[in-house]
Amino acid sequence: MFKALSTRFLQHLLTQNSWANALLQPYAGKAVQFDIASIKANIIILEDGGLVMAGETNIADATVCISASLLLRLIAQDEAAKIQIVISGDTHLATEFAKVLSNMRWDYEDDLSKLIGDVSALKISQFGRDAATGFKRNSIQLAEMLSEYWQEEKPLIAKNRLVEKFNTEVDTLRADVARFEKRLTKLTQQQLSPQHQTSDSSH
Amino acid sequence: MTSEHNTHFGFKTVAEADKAKKVGEVFHSVASKYDLMNDVMSAGMHRGWKRFAVEISGVRSGDKVLDIAGGSGDLSKLFAKKVGTEGQVILTDINASMLAVGRDRMLDAGLQVPALQCDAEKLPFPDQYFDCVIVAFGLRNMTHKDLALAEMQRVLKVGGRLLVLEFSKVWQPLSKIYDVYSFKLLPLMGKLLAHDAESYQYLAESIRMHPDQETLKQMMVDAGLSKVDYYNLSAGVVALHKGYKT
Repeated sequence: MFKALSTRFLQHLLTQNSWANALLQPYAGKAVQFDIASIKANIIILEDGGLVMAGETNIADATVCISASLLLRLIAQDEAAKIQIVISGDTHLATEFAKVLSNMRWDYEDDLSKLIGDVSALKISQFGRDAATGFKRNSIQLAEMLSEYWQEEKPLIAKNRLVEKFNTEVDTLRADVARFEKRLTKLTQQQLSPQHQTSDSSH
Repeated sequence: MTSEHNTHFGFKTVAEADKAKKVGEVFHSVASKYDLMNDVMSAGMHRGWKRFAVEISGVRSGDKVLDIAGGSGDLSKLFAKKVGTEGQVILTDINASMLAVGRDRMLDAGLQVPALQCDAEKLPFPDQYFDCVIVAFGLRNMTHKDLALAEMQRVLKVGGRLLVLEFSKVWQPLSKIYDVYSFKLLPLMGKLLAHDAESYQYLAESIRMHPDQETLKQMMVDAGLSKVDYYNLSAGVVALHKGYKT
Protein backbone atom coordinates (compact mmCIF):
# COMPACT_ATOMS: atom_id res chain seq x y z
CA MET A 1 0.00 0.00 0.00
CA PHE A 2 2.77 2.40 1.05
CA LYS A 3 4.82 1.47 -2.01
CA ALA A 4 1.87 1.90 -4.34
CA LEU A 5 1.08 5.34 -2.89
CA SER A 6 4.73 6.45 -2.90
CA THR A 7 5.09 5.26 -6.48
CA ARG A 8 1.97 7.21 -7.45
CA PHE A 9 3.42 10.35 -5.83
CA LEU A 10 6.81 9.88 -7.52
CA GLN A 11 5.12 9.44 -10.89
CA HIS A 12 3.06 12.56 -10.25
CA LEU A 13 6.19 14.48 -9.29
CA LEU A 14 7.84 13.42 -12.55
CA THR A 15 4.81 14.48 -14.57
CA GLN A 16 5.25 17.97 -13.09
CA ASN A 17 9.03 17.86 -13.66
CA SER A 18 9.17 16.20 -17.08
CA TRP A 19 12.70 17.60 -17.71
CA ALA A 20 13.95 14.94 -15.27
CA ASN A 21 12.91 11.95 -17.44
CA ALA A 22 15.64 12.53 -20.01
CA LEU A 23 18.29 12.91 -17.28
CA LEU A 24 17.23 9.70 -15.52
CA GLN A 25 16.73 7.49 -18.60
CA PRO A 26 20.45 6.61 -19.00
CA TYR A 27 20.28 4.97 -15.56
CA ALA A 28 17.19 2.83 -16.31
CA GLY A 29 16.97 -0.32 -14.21
CA LYS A 30 19.32 1.03 -11.51
CA ALA A 31 18.23 1.41 -7.89
CA VAL A 32 19.31 3.93 -5.26
CA GLN A 33 18.71 3.45 -1.56
CA PHE A 34 18.06 6.54 0.54
CA ASP A 35 18.80 6.08 4.23
CA ILE A 36 17.45 9.27 5.75
CA ALA A 37 17.34 9.50 9.55
CA SER A 38 17.28 5.65 9.65
CA ILE A 39 14.26 5.50 7.34
CA LYS A 40 15.18 3.51 4.24
CA ALA A 41 13.62 3.85 0.80
CA ASN A 42 14.80 2.15 -2.38
CA ILE A 43 13.91 3.94 -5.58
CA ILE A 44 14.28 2.43 -9.06
CA ILE A 45 14.68 4.34 -12.30
CA LEU A 46 12.39 2.99 -15.00
CA GLU A 47 12.99 2.58 -18.71
CA ASP A 48 10.85 5.65 -19.46
CA GLY A 49 12.83 7.73 -16.95
CA GLY A 50 10.11 7.33 -14.34
CA LEU A 51 10.67 6.57 -10.69
CA VAL A 52 9.11 3.82 -8.61
CA MET A 53 9.67 2.32 -5.20
CA ALA A 54 11.70 -0.89 -5.37
CA GLY A 55 10.20 -4.29 -4.56
CA GLU A 56 10.82 -6.61 -1.63
CA THR A 57 14.10 -8.14 -2.79
CA ASN A 58 15.83 -5.36 -4.66
CA ILE A 59 19.54 -4.74 -4.13
CA ALA A 60 20.47 -1.08 -4.52
CA ASP A 61 23.30 -0.04 -6.86
CA ALA A 62 24.06 3.00 -4.71
CA THR A 63 23.26 4.26 -1.22
CA VAL A 64 22.78 7.82 -0.01
CA CYS A 65 22.96 8.12 3.76
CA ILE A 66 21.80 11.24 5.63
CA SER A 67 21.74 11.26 9.43
CA ALA A 68 18.99 13.00 11.41
CA SER A 69 21.28 15.86 12.49
CA LEU A 70 22.50 16.34 8.94
CA LEU A 71 18.93 16.37 7.70
CA LEU A 72 18.12 19.30 9.99
CA ARG A 73 21.13 21.20 8.64
CA LEU A 74 20.09 20.45 5.06
CA ILE A 75 16.57 21.69 5.79
CA ALA A 76 18.11 24.86 7.22
CA GLN A 77 19.93 25.15 3.84
CA ASP A 78 23.41 24.78 5.31
CA GLU A 79 25.60 24.41 2.19
CA ALA A 80 28.47 22.86 4.19
CA ALA A 81 26.17 20.00 5.22
CA LYS A 82 25.93 18.77 1.62
CA ILE A 83 29.53 17.54 1.60
CA GLN A 84 28.82 15.41 4.66
CA ILE A 85 26.23 13.25 2.85
CA VAL A 86 27.64 9.71 2.74
CA ILE A 87 27.41 8.07 -0.69
CA SER A 88 28.45 4.48 -1.35
CA GLY A 89 28.25 2.08 -4.29
CA ASP A 90 27.87 3.67 -7.73
CA THR A 91 28.71 7.22 -6.65
CA HIS A 92 28.16 8.70 -10.11
CA LEU A 93 24.61 7.32 -10.20
CA ALA A 94 23.85 8.45 -6.64
CA THR A 95 25.22 11.96 -7.21
CA GLU A 96 23.29 12.47 -10.45
CA PHE A 97 20.13 11.02 -8.94
CA ALA A 98 20.36 13.16 -5.80
CA LYS A 99 21.00 16.23 -7.97
CA VAL A 100 17.86 15.55 -10.05
CA LEU A 101 15.74 14.90 -6.95
CA SER A 102 16.92 18.04 -5.19
CA ASN A 103 15.95 20.14 -8.21
CA MET A 104 12.46 18.69 -8.47
CA ARG A 105 9.63 20.85 -7.21
CA TRP A 106 6.18 19.74 -6.15
CA ASP A 107 3.70 22.18 -7.66
CA TYR A 108 1.11 21.67 -4.93
CA GLU A 109 -0.64 24.89 -5.92
CA ASP A 110 -1.45 23.37 -9.33
CA ASP A 111 -2.76 20.17 -7.69
CA LEU A 112 -4.85 22.15 -5.24
CA SER A 113 -6.30 24.35 -8.00
CA LYS A 114 -7.81 21.25 -9.65
CA LEU A 115 -9.71 20.54 -6.46
CA ILE A 116 -10.76 23.95 -5.19
CA GLY A 117 -10.14 26.36 -8.05
CA ASP A 118 -7.28 28.75 -8.90
CA VAL A 119 -8.07 31.63 -6.55
CA SER A 120 -8.60 29.51 -3.44
CA ALA A 121 -5.50 27.46 -4.26
CA LEU A 122 -3.41 30.62 -4.58
CA LYS A 123 -4.70 32.00 -1.26
CA ILE A 124 -4.12 28.72 0.60
CA SER A 125 -0.64 28.32 -0.90
CA GLN A 126 0.28 31.90 0.04
CA PHE A 127 -0.99 31.31 3.55
CA GLY A 128 1.02 28.06 3.73
CA ARG A 129 4.19 29.74 2.47
CA ASP A 130 3.80 32.66 4.92
CA ALA A 131 3.15 30.26 7.78
CA ALA A 132 6.22 28.19 6.87
CA THR A 133 8.43 31.29 6.62
CA GLY A 134 7.10 32.58 9.95
CA PHE A 135 7.63 29.21 11.58
CA LYS A 136 11.19 29.00 10.28
CA ARG A 137 12.01 32.55 11.45
CA ASN A 138 10.49 31.95 14.89
CA SER A 139 12.28 28.60 15.23
CA ILE A 140 15.65 30.19 14.46
CA GLN A 141 14.95 33.03 16.93
CA LEU A 142 13.93 30.56 19.63
CA ALA A 143 17.02 28.41 19.02
CA GLU A 144 19.29 31.48 19.21
CA MET A 145 17.59 32.65 22.40
CA LEU A 146 17.89 29.24 24.06
CA SER A 147 21.51 28.78 23.04
CA GLU A 148 22.35 32.23 24.46
CA TYR A 149 20.56 31.39 27.71
CA TRP A 150 22.33 28.02 28.04
CA GLN A 151 25.70 29.59 27.26
CA GLU A 152 25.50 32.74 29.38
CA GLU A 153 22.86 32.36 32.09
CA LYS A 154 22.82 28.66 32.86
CA PRO A 155 25.85 27.12 31.12
CA LEU A 156 24.79 23.85 29.56
CA ILE A 157 26.22 24.36 26.09
CA ALA A 158 29.88 25.20 25.55
CA LYS A 159 30.78 28.26 23.50
CA ASN A 160 32.46 27.74 20.17
CA ARG A 161 35.57 29.57 21.34
CA LEU A 162 35.89 27.35 24.40
CA VAL A 163 35.28 24.16 22.40
CA GLU A 164 38.04 25.17 19.96
CA LYS A 165 40.40 25.96 22.87
CA PHE A 166 39.60 22.58 24.43
CA ASN A 167 40.22 20.84 21.08
CA THR A 168 43.64 22.54 20.77
CA GLU A 169 44.54 21.45 24.31
CA VAL A 170 43.49 17.87 23.51
CA ASP A 171 45.64 17.95 20.36
CA THR A 172 48.64 19.25 22.33
CA LEU A 173 48.11 16.59 24.98
CA ARG A 174 47.84 13.87 22.31
CA ALA A 175 51.12 15.04 20.72
CA ASP A 176 52.80 15.09 24.17
CA VAL A 177 51.57 11.59 24.97
CA ALA A 178 52.81 10.32 21.59
CA ARG A 179 56.24 11.89 22.21
CA PHE A 180 56.37 10.42 25.70
CA GLU A 181 55.34 6.99 24.38
CA LYS A 182 58.13 7.07 21.80
CA ARG A 183 60.70 8.10 24.41
CA LEU A 184 59.48 5.35 26.73
CA THR A 185 59.77 2.74 23.97
CA LYS A 186 63.28 3.95 23.16
CA LEU A 187 64.34 3.75 26.83
CA THR A 188 62.81 0.28 27.23
CA GLN A 189 64.67 -0.94 24.12
CA GLN A 190 67.94 0.52 25.43
CA GLN A 191 67.41 -1.21 28.77
CA LEU A 192 66.58 -4.54 27.12
CA SER A 193 69.43 -4.62 24.59
CA PRO A 194 72.41 -5.33 27.07
CA GLN A 195 70.35 -8.13 28.72
CA HIS A 196 69.56 -9.54 25.28
CA GLN A 197 73.27 -9.48 24.42
CA THR A 198 74.15 -11.14 27.78
CA SER A 199 71.61 -13.93 27.27
CA ASP A 200 72.96 -14.47 23.73
CA SER A 201 76.59 -14.70 24.97
CA SER A 202 75.67 -17.26 27.70
CA HIS A 203 74.67 -19.87 25.03
CA MET B 1 -1.15 -42.70 -17.19
CA THR B 2 1.84 -41.88 -14.96
CA SER B 3 1.87 -39.22 -12.28
CA GLU B 4 4.39 -37.30 -14.42
CA HIS B 5 1.57 -36.55 -16.84
CA ASN B 6 -0.81 -35.34 -14.18
CA THR B 7 -1.24 -31.82 -12.92
CA HIS B 8 -3.43 -29.98 -10.47
CA PHE B 9 -6.76 -28.37 -11.23
CA GLY B 10 -7.49 -26.54 -8.01
CA PHE B 11 -7.08 -29.20 -5.32
CA LYS B 12 -7.90 -32.01 -7.77
CA THR B 13 -5.37 -33.97 -9.80
CA VAL B 14 -6.17 -34.24 -13.48
CA ALA B 15 -4.40 -35.35 -16.63
CA GLU B 16 -2.25 -32.59 -18.14
CA ALA B 17 -4.14 -32.85 -21.39
CA ASP B 18 -7.43 -32.15 -19.59
CA LYS B 19 -6.37 -29.09 -17.57
CA ALA B 20 -6.59 -26.53 -20.38
CA LYS B 21 -10.04 -27.84 -21.30
CA LYS B 22 -11.27 -27.65 -17.71
CA VAL B 23 -9.84 -24.13 -17.19
CA GLY B 24 -11.47 -23.18 -20.49
CA GLU B 25 -14.85 -24.38 -19.18
CA VAL B 26 -14.43 -22.31 -16.00
CA PHE B 27 -13.65 -19.11 -17.87
CA HIS B 28 -16.27 -19.75 -20.51
CA SER B 29 -18.75 -20.00 -17.64
CA VAL B 30 -17.66 -16.79 -15.88
CA ALA B 31 -16.82 -14.64 -18.95
CA SER B 32 -20.05 -12.64 -19.06
CA LYS B 33 -19.88 -11.66 -15.37
CA TYR B 34 -16.09 -11.61 -15.04
CA ASP B 35 -15.73 -7.86 -14.46
CA LEU B 36 -18.60 -7.65 -12.01
CA MET B 37 -17.22 -10.56 -10.01
CA ASN B 38 -13.71 -9.13 -10.02
CA ASP B 39 -15.02 -5.85 -8.64
CA VAL B 40 -17.12 -7.55 -5.97
CA MET B 41 -14.47 -10.08 -4.94
CA SER B 42 -11.60 -7.61 -4.66
CA ALA B 43 -13.71 -4.63 -3.56
CA GLY B 44 -12.45 -2.86 -6.69
CA MET B 45 -8.81 -3.35 -5.70
CA HIS B 46 -7.98 -5.26 -8.89
CA ARG B 47 -8.13 -1.97 -10.77
CA GLY B 48 -5.48 -0.47 -8.45
CA TRP B 49 -3.27 -3.58 -8.78
CA LYS B 50 -3.46 -3.38 -12.57
CA ARG B 51 -2.75 0.36 -12.61
CA PHE B 52 0.27 -0.25 -10.37
CA ALA B 53 1.53 -2.92 -12.80
CA VAL B 54 1.31 -0.43 -15.66
CA GLU B 55 3.21 2.19 -13.61
CA ILE B 56 5.95 -0.29 -12.75
CA SER B 57 6.29 -1.49 -16.37
CA GLY B 58 8.24 1.58 -17.55
CA VAL B 59 6.45 1.31 -20.90
CA ARG B 60 6.79 4.43 -23.01
CA SER B 61 5.35 5.83 -26.20
CA GLY B 62 6.14 3.64 -29.21
CA ASP B 63 6.74 0.42 -27.22
CA LYS B 64 5.36 -3.01 -28.17
CA VAL B 65 3.39 -4.73 -25.40
CA LEU B 66 1.99 -8.26 -25.23
CA ASP B 67 -0.92 -8.82 -22.84
CA ILE B 68 -1.16 -12.57 -22.19
CA ALA B 69 -4.35 -14.05 -20.73
CA GLY B 70 -5.65 -10.51 -21.07
CA GLY B 71 -9.27 -11.59 -20.86
CA SER B 72 -11.50 -8.60 -20.54
CA GLY B 73 -8.73 -6.26 -21.67
CA ASP B 74 -8.30 -4.00 -18.60
CA LEU B 75 -4.53 -3.93 -18.97
CA SER B 76 -4.52 -3.65 -22.75
CA LYS B 77 -6.68 -0.56 -22.42
CA LEU B 78 -4.24 1.08 -19.98
CA PHE B 79 -1.20 0.08 -22.04
CA ALA B 80 -2.77 1.29 -25.30
CA LYS B 81 -2.96 4.79 -23.79
CA LYS B 82 0.70 4.58 -22.70
CA VAL B 83 2.20 3.39 -25.99
CA GLY B 84 0.15 5.80 -28.09
CA THR B 85 -0.44 5.50 -31.81
CA GLU B 86 3.23 4.75 -32.53
CA GLY B 87 3.25 1.73 -30.25
CA GLN B 88 1.45 -1.58 -30.35
CA VAL B 89 -0.50 -3.63 -27.82
CA ILE B 90 -1.60 -7.18 -28.60
CA LEU B 91 -4.29 -8.79 -26.47
CA THR B 92 -4.18 -12.58 -26.25
CA ASP B 93 -6.10 -15.24 -24.38
CA ILE B 94 -6.51 -18.98 -24.80
CA ASN B 95 -10.21 -18.68 -24.07
CA ALA B 96 -12.40 -17.44 -26.93
CA SER B 97 -15.25 -16.30 -24.66
CA MET B 98 -12.97 -14.13 -22.53
CA LEU B 99 -11.16 -12.78 -25.58
CA ALA B 100 -14.46 -11.80 -27.20
CA VAL B 101 -15.32 -9.73 -24.10
CA GLY B 102 -11.92 -7.99 -24.28
CA ARG B 103 -12.08 -7.43 -28.05
CA ASP B 104 -15.54 -5.85 -27.77
CA ARG B 105 -14.43 -3.58 -24.97
CA MET B 106 -11.43 -2.40 -27.00
CA LEU B 107 -13.71 -1.63 -29.94
CA ASP B 108 -16.16 0.20 -27.68
CA ALA B 109 -13.30 2.30 -26.32
CA GLY B 110 -12.18 3.14 -29.86
CA LEU B 111 -8.83 1.41 -29.40
CA GLN B 112 -7.05 -0.50 -32.15
CA VAL B 113 -5.84 -3.49 -30.19
CA PRO B 114 -5.57 -6.79 -32.09
CA ALA B 115 -7.10 -9.69 -30.14
CA LEU B 116 -5.51 -13.06 -30.74
CA GLN B 117 -6.51 -16.46 -29.41
CA CYS B 118 -3.35 -18.38 -28.56
CA ASP B 119 -1.70 -20.65 -26.03
CA ALA B 120 0.88 -18.90 -23.83
CA GLU B 121 3.02 -22.04 -23.95
CA LYS B 122 3.35 -21.70 -27.75
CA LEU B 123 3.33 -17.99 -28.54
CA PRO B 124 2.96 -17.24 -32.26
CA PHE B 125 5.45 -14.34 -32.23
CA PRO B 126 9.06 -14.03 -33.37
CA ASP B 127 11.99 -13.88 -30.93
CA GLN B 128 12.83 -10.51 -29.37
CA TYR B 129 9.72 -8.69 -30.54
CA PHE B 130 8.17 -7.05 -27.44
CA ASP B 131 9.42 -4.39 -25.03
CA CYS B 132 7.08 -5.62 -22.34
CA VAL B 133 5.12 -8.82 -21.76
CA ILE B 134 2.52 -8.98 -19.03
CA VAL B 135 0.41 -11.81 -17.69
CA ALA B 136 -2.15 -10.84 -15.07
CA PHE B 137 -4.09 -13.47 -13.15
CA GLY B 138 -3.38 -16.01 -15.86
CA LEU B 139 -0.17 -17.86 -15.03
CA ARG B 140 -1.74 -20.02 -12.33
CA ASN B 141 -4.14 -21.49 -14.89
CA MET B 142 -1.36 -22.58 -17.23
CA THR B 143 -0.47 -26.27 -17.29
CA HIS B 144 3.30 -25.84 -17.83
CA LYS B 145 4.22 -22.58 -16.14
CA ASP B 146 7.92 -23.08 -16.86
CA LEU B 147 7.27 -23.45 -20.59
CA ALA B 148 5.02 -20.40 -20.61
CA LEU B 149 7.62 -18.27 -18.79
CA ALA B 150 10.32 -19.44 -21.21
CA GLU B 151 8.10 -18.47 -24.15
CA MET B 152 7.48 -15.04 -22.67
CA GLN B 153 11.23 -14.59 -22.21
CA ARG B 154 11.81 -15.66 -25.84
CA VAL B 155 9.53 -13.01 -27.35
CA LEU B 156 11.04 -10.22 -25.22
CA LYS B 157 13.68 -7.89 -26.65
CA VAL B 158 16.95 -7.61 -24.76
CA GLY B 159 16.22 -5.07 -22.03
CA GLY B 160 12.52 -5.95 -22.19
CA ARG B 161 10.46 -6.65 -19.08
CA LEU B 162 8.21 -9.49 -18.05
CA LEU B 163 5.54 -8.63 -15.49
CA VAL B 164 3.56 -11.30 -13.69
CA LEU B 165 0.60 -10.12 -11.64
CA GLU B 166 -0.86 -13.01 -9.73
CA PHE B 167 -2.47 -14.06 -6.45
CA SER B 168 0.18 -15.09 -3.99
CA LYS B 169 0.88 -16.02 -0.40
CA VAL B 170 -0.88 -13.68 1.99
CA TRP B 171 0.78 -12.21 5.10
CA GLN B 172 0.69 -14.98 7.74
CA PRO B 173 -1.45 -13.20 10.42
CA LEU B 174 -4.19 -12.69 7.82
CA SER B 175 -4.15 -16.23 6.45
CA LYS B 176 -7.06 -17.55 8.59
CA ILE B 177 -9.38 -14.69 7.61
CA TYR B 178 -8.27 -15.07 4.01
CA ASP B 179 -9.08 -18.80 4.09
CA VAL B 180 -12.58 -18.12 5.38
CA TYR B 181 -13.06 -15.52 2.68
CA SER B 182 -11.71 -17.77 -0.09
CA PHE B 183 -13.44 -21.03 0.74
CA LYS B 184 -16.71 -19.82 2.27
CA LEU B 185 -17.50 -16.33 0.99
CA LEU B 186 -16.07 -16.55 -2.51
CA PRO B 187 -18.11 -19.60 -3.66
CA LEU B 188 -21.18 -18.06 -2.02
CA MET B 189 -20.69 -14.81 -3.94
CA GLY B 190 -20.14 -16.83 -7.11
CA LYS B 191 -23.40 -18.64 -6.49
CA LEU B 192 -25.38 -15.48 -5.80
CA LEU B 193 -23.94 -13.20 -8.47
CA ALA B 194 -22.84 -15.52 -11.27
CA HIS B 195 -24.93 -18.60 -10.38
CA ASP B 196 -21.70 -20.60 -10.52
CA ALA B 197 -20.26 -21.62 -7.16
CA GLU B 198 -17.98 -24.32 -8.63
CA SER B 199 -15.97 -21.96 -10.81
CA TYR B 200 -15.26 -19.70 -7.86
CA GLN B 201 -14.38 -22.68 -5.71
CA TYR B 202 -11.78 -23.50 -8.39
CA LEU B 203 -10.54 -19.90 -8.25
CA ALA B 204 -9.87 -20.17 -4.50
CA GLU B 205 -8.22 -23.58 -4.85
CA SER B 206 -6.04 -22.55 -7.78
CA ILE B 207 -4.77 -19.55 -5.80
CA ARG B 208 -3.62 -21.87 -3.00
CA MET B 209 -1.86 -24.18 -5.47
CA HIS B 210 0.02 -21.33 -7.15
CA PRO B 211 3.71 -20.86 -6.23
CA ASP B 212 4.48 -18.30 -3.52
CA GLN B 213 6.49 -15.11 -4.13
CA GLU B 214 9.98 -16.59 -3.75
CA THR B 215 9.19 -19.74 -5.77
CA LEU B 216 7.81 -17.74 -8.66
CA LYS B 217 10.84 -15.46 -8.51
CA GLN B 218 13.10 -18.50 -8.85
CA MET B 219 10.96 -19.83 -11.73
CA MET B 220 11.46 -16.55 -13.56
CA VAL B 221 15.20 -16.70 -12.97
CA ASP B 222 15.19 -20.29 -14.28
CA ALA B 223 13.34 -19.07 -17.38
CA GLY B 224 16.31 -16.80 -18.13
CA LEU B 225 15.17 -13.52 -16.64
CA SER B 226 17.43 -11.41 -14.49
CA LYS B 227 17.11 -8.73 -11.79
CA VAL B 228 13.82 -10.36 -10.77
CA ASP B 229 12.06 -8.50 -7.99
CA TYR B 230 8.52 -8.54 -6.64
CA TYR B 231 6.02 -6.29 -4.88
CA ASN B 232 3.53 -7.57 -2.35
CA LEU B 233 0.20 -5.85 -2.88
CA SER B 234 -2.59 -5.84 -0.28
CA ALA B 235 -0.50 -7.79 2.26
CA GLY B 236 0.55 -10.39 -0.29
CA VAL B 237 -2.93 -11.28 -1.55
CA VAL B 238 -1.42 -10.38 -4.89
CA ALA B 239 2.23 -10.12 -5.94
CA LEU B 240 3.68 -8.32 -8.92
CA HIS B 241 6.91 -9.86 -10.23
CA LYS B 242 9.16 -8.03 -12.65
CA GLY B 243 12.16 -9.46 -14.47
CA TYR B 244 14.42 -8.29 -17.28
CA LYS B 245 15.77 -10.06 -20.32
CA THR B 246 19.49 -9.37 -20.51
